[in-house]
Amino acid sequence: MGGSLKEVGILLGGPQGSGIETSMWILSRVLVSKGYGVIADREYFSNITGRHSYIQMLASSVKPPRSLKYPVEILASMDAETVFTHFTDISEGGILIYDVNTSSRRIDEIPSMEDATRERVARILSDKNVEPSVESVVKYLERDKRILPLGLDFSALLKTLSEQYRIDARALSRFLSGIIVSSVAVVLGLSEEAVVQGFEQQFGERKHLVEQNTALYRLVRDALSNHYGAVRLDEPGFSMEKAMVVTGNDVVAIAKIVAGVRYQSYYPITPAADESFLLERYDNIVDETGEVVGSVVVVQTEDEIAAVNSAIGAALTGARASTTTSGPGFDLMVEGLSWAGMNEVPLVITYYQRGGPSTGQPTRGSQSDLFNAVFAGHGEFARVVLSSSDHLEAFYDTIEAFNIAEKYQVPVIHLLDKFLANTVAVMPVPDLGGVGIERGVLAKGGPGYKRFSLESLISPRAFIGARDTVMWYTGDEHDEHGHIAEDPEIRVKMYSKRIEKLNLIQRELPLERKLRLHGPGSPDYLVVGWGSVKGVVLDAIEYFSEKGLRMAYLDVKLLWPFPSEEFLKITSGLPDSRILAVEHSYGVNIAELVSMSTGRRIVKRVSKYTGRPIMLDELVKGLEEIVSGRRERVVLTYGA
Amino acid sequence: MEPRWSYKSNVWPDWCPGCGNFGILTALLKALEELSLDPSQTVIVSGIGCSGKTPHFVNVNGVHTLHGRAIPFATGIKLANPGLKVIVHGGDGDLLGIGAGHFVALGRRNIDVTVILHDNGVYGLTKGQASPTLPLKARTKSLAKPNIQQPVNPVLLALSSGYTFVARGYAFDGAYLKNLIKMAVQHRGAAFIDVLQPCITFNDVYTADFYRKAVYKLESDPGWDPVVKTSEEASVKLMRAVEKSLEWGDRIPVGVFYVNPHVSTFEERLGERLRKYPVQNPSNTPIESAGKPVLSQEAFEKMFKEFIVRVSGTQGR
Ligand SMILES: Cc1ncc(C[n+]2csc(CCOP(=O)(O)OP(=O)(O)O)c2C)c(N)n1
Ligand code: SF4
Repeated sequence: MGGSLKEVGILLGGPQGSGIETSMWILSRVLVSKGYGVIADREYFSNITGRHSYIQMLASSVKPPRSLKYPVEILASMDAETVFTHFTDISEGGILIYDVNTSSRRIDEIPSMEDATRERVARILSDKNVEPSVESVVKYLERDKRILPLGLDFSALLKTLSEQYRIDARALSRFLSGIIVSSVAVVLGLSEEAVVQGFEQQFGERKHLVEQNTALYRLVRDALSNHYGAVRLDEPGFSMEKAMVVTGNDVVAIAKIVAGVRYQSYYPITPAADESFLLERYDNIVDETGEVVGSVVVVQTEDEIAAVNSAIGAALTGARASTTTSGPGFDLMVEGLSWAGMNEVPLVITYYQRGGPSTGQPTRGSQSDLFNAVFAGHGEFARVVLSSSDHLEAFYDTIEAFNIAEKYQVPVIHLLDKFLANTVAVMPVPDLGGVGIERGVLAKGGPGYKRFSLESLISPRAFIGARDTVMWYTGDEHDEHGHIAEDPEIRVKMYSKRIEKLNLIQRELPLERKLRLHGPGSPDYLVVGWGSVKGVVLDAIEYFSEKGLRMAYLDVKLLWPFPSEEFLKITSGLPDSRILAVEHSYGVNIAELVSMSTGRRIVKRVSKYTGRPIMLDELVKGLEEIVSGRRERVVLTYGA
Repeated sequence: MEPRWSYKSNVWPDWCPGCGNFGILTALLKALEELSLDPSQTVIVSGIGCSGKTPHFVNVNGVHTLHGRAIPFATGIKLANPGLKVIVHGGDGDLLGIGAGHFVALGRRNIDVTVILHDNGVYGLTKGQASPTLPLKARTKSLAKPNIQQPVNPVLLALSSGYTFVARGYAFDGAYLKNLIKMAVQHRGAAFIDVLQPCITFNDVYTADFYRKAVYKLESDPGWDPVVKTSEEASVKLMRAVEKSLEWGDRIPVGVFYVNPHVSTFEERLGERLRKYPVQNPSNTPIESAGKPVLSQEAFEKMFKEFIVRVSGTQGR
C-alpha cells in the first residue's frame, strides 16, 4: 500500500464472546493516544457465545471520524466465518489478517453461520468461480484484488505463549484479542510503547495480563516483521491533549451523574441496560479529594412498568429521576408516561431504539420508533422528545433533558438508538463550565399549598416531604389541590394549562436546541434527518461540495414539540423537490412529522432498515440517484 | 389530649353507604392519630378502584396512581426519601391481579412500606367482576356465571414473598384493625394487612353477616406467638403462619400471622453500598450550586479517568 493515508478502515471479526470487543477498546485507545480520531461500531447477534460478531472501525489523521466507510483497508479475522462473511469488504490493495489453521475450512462446515448468509456468500463465490474454502478465498483476494494475505499461525503463537508463562490450555482463548490487537498495531506501525499502554488501560490491576499480552505482541511483531507499518496513517493533523473514548451508553450515564440524577430504575434490555450498569459502578459520587458528595440509587425493578412508575415516585420527592429502555420496554411504560403527563412530573426516559416491531432485531440499530416516542400515551398532554446526533451532543442533551423536565414539569423522552449506544467514539472531554443545572420554579410549600395552582402556567413545585406541606396527586382530572374533580370548568382549565406549556417550551428553547443547520446557508439541496444519521450525512455533504454541489443538513434535535416555524423559515427558499430525508426506517418518518407539523411535503427519501449503520459510500450513491432525478426513494442495504 | 394534626380531609367519601371501606378509613385515621404521624412526612399511595380513592379522604400526602401500580410508585418514593412513612392501599384486583408481580417484589426487597389490601372478592369500581380472591365456583349476584378461576391466598402469598409482617384484619372491627395498622406502620420492613372488606353492593357471599360469624382472633389460642425471636426460629414460625393462613370458611383467623424483625430492609442494604445514603438521600442531596453541577471539572476527570486517554502523539512511533 504505497504512501500514507488520511484514514484507515479496519474490520475485526470473530465469534461473539471471543474478545472482539476487548480488541476494539484496546485498539481505539492506542490509536487515540497516538493522536488519531477513532470511531467503532459493534455489530452482533442476539447471542452470548459463538455467533459472528464484528467491529467496523475508522481511524483518521484529519478529524474525529463521524461515519464509517467500505471497503476497509484491513480485515482481521479470528475465524473462517469472518473471512467468508467479509472478504468482499476489503479494498483493493488492502490487507487480510487470518489464522492459517482455518485455511482448509469450507463454508458448509461452519455451523454458526445462518443458512441464508451461507447461501448468499456461496452464490457470490460461485459467480466468481471461487471454491468455498478459506484457502481459495485467500488466493482469489491475492490474485484478483491485489490484497495482501497475512496468515498467522494462531495456535503456534498461543502455544509459545503458554509455554513461556505456563498458561492453562483452556485459558488461552482469552489471548485471541491480543493477537488481533497486535497484528493490526504492527500493520499500522504503532509503537510497542503505545500498545502496552493500551493493554495497561484495559487490564488495569491485572498486571500479568499486561505482561503476557505484551509478550504476545512481540511474537506477532516478529512473525509480521516484513509488514511492520504496511499501512501508514498520516501524522495526525489535529491536536488534542486528552480525549474521552466512550460508547453512547457510557456518555449518557456519565452525563446523568453530572446532571444530578439520584434515582435510576431499569429492567434489563438491549441496548439500554449498559447505561445503568455503568451508573451502578459509579453510584458513590466523589469530589476531587475522594470524598463522597452523593449517591445514585440504581434499582433493577421487576419489569418496565415498575421501572417507570418508581422513577415517577422518586421524582415526586424532588430527586432527579430517570429510567432507561428500548422499544418493547417503552411500550410497557406508556401508561406511566400518561400519568406523569397528567401530574406534571419531571421524569426523563432515555429511549434507545433498536430494530422492531416486537423483539425484531434486538441487537441492531434503527430509528423506527420516532412516532412511538412522540405520540405514545392516551389523552393529550405535554411531553418533550429530544434526539442526539453524536456522543458529545448526547452528553449535553442528557443534562438538558433534566433541565427541561424540571423547568416545565413535563416528561422528557431522550430518543437515542443502538448505533449511538454501542459505538465507541473519541470526543473532547466535556467542559462542565458550560453546563447549567436548572430546577425550575420551586415552592417551599406550607399549609394550604396547592400543587396544581392555576395562578401560573407552571405551578411552583414543592416536593413530597416538604415541611408542613401536604399535597395530593391523582391520575384522574383534579383541582388545584390534586383532588379528583369532574367539573367541566376545572377540566378545561387544567387540561389546557398542561398542554399550553408546549407553547412556552417552543418560545423559550433556543434555536440550537431545536434545529441545527450544517453546511451552506442557501444550498442547492437540503437533507433533513435526526439522531445518528448526522455523521454520515455530513460526510456525504462534504463529498458533494467537493464536486460543486451545495448540500446542507438540517438536524432535527427537538422532535416534539416540533419546531414548525423555525423549520419553515430555514426552508423558505427551497422548493419541496429540493428537500430530502434520510432515516433508519422503512417509512422515513421524519418526513411525515415535518409534513403534519408544517404542511411541507418531503417526497425524496433515503431509507435503511437492515439494522446496520449507513456507510458513507452507499449514502453518496443513494443521494446521487435522487439528485440526478432517477429515483425518489432509495433503500440502502450494505453490511453483513 | 388534642391531636396535633387533623387527619380527615374535607373531601366527601363517595363510597356506597355501608361499604367496608368506611371501616378501613376510620381505623386508618385513628391509627395515624394515635401514632401522631406528621402528615407532611407520611404518604398514602393507592391504585385504582373504590379503595384507590382512600388518599383523598386523608389529610396526609396522597398519591392516587395507576391500576396495580401503587407499589412501584411507593418504592420510588420510599427509596428516594427513606424518612417518609409510606402506606399503600389497594383492592384485591389491584394488588393481586394486575399488580401481583409488584406485590411479590416488595416482599422480596423488604422495603419499609405498609400494604393494606381492601379484600372484597370483587372488582368494585368496574361493577362486581370476580377478583383474584373469590373462590372457584363462588357466584356473587353480579356474576352471570359462577367463578371459573381459583383464588389466591393473600396471606400465604405475602408469607412466601418475604413480607416480614403479615396480618389480617376485618373492616368492621375498627379498634382491632387500628391496632394492626399501628403495628404494621411501626414495623421495620415490608408489612402486609389483608383486610376483609364487605362490598355491600356486589358481594352477597362475603357479607358483614358472614364475617361476623366466621372471624376469630389468632391470639384466642393461648399458645399463639407470631414473633420471630431469633433468626433461627424464622422457618418454624413461618410454617406455623402458613398453616394458619390455610384456614378459611366457617372459621377465619384475624390478627398477626408472622413478624420477623431480623431481616435487613432494602434501605439498609442500600446504605451499606452507598456511603451517603443513610444520612443524605436522593430527595435532598444537593445537585447544584449557583446553577452549576456539584461535580467540579477536576473531580469529573478524576472520577471518569478510565475513559480519558492522554494523547502523546505519534513521535517515536
Ligand atoms: C390498566 C387498567 N385496566 C383497567 C382499569 C379499570 N378498572 C378500574 S377500577 C378496576 C377494578 C378495581 O378492583 P379492585 O382492585 O378489586 O378494587 P375495588 O374497586 O374493589 O376497591 C378496574 C379493572 C384501569 N383503570 N386501568
Ligand atoms: S362498590 Fe363495593 S367496594 Fe365499591 S364503594 Fe360500593 S360497596 Fe364499597
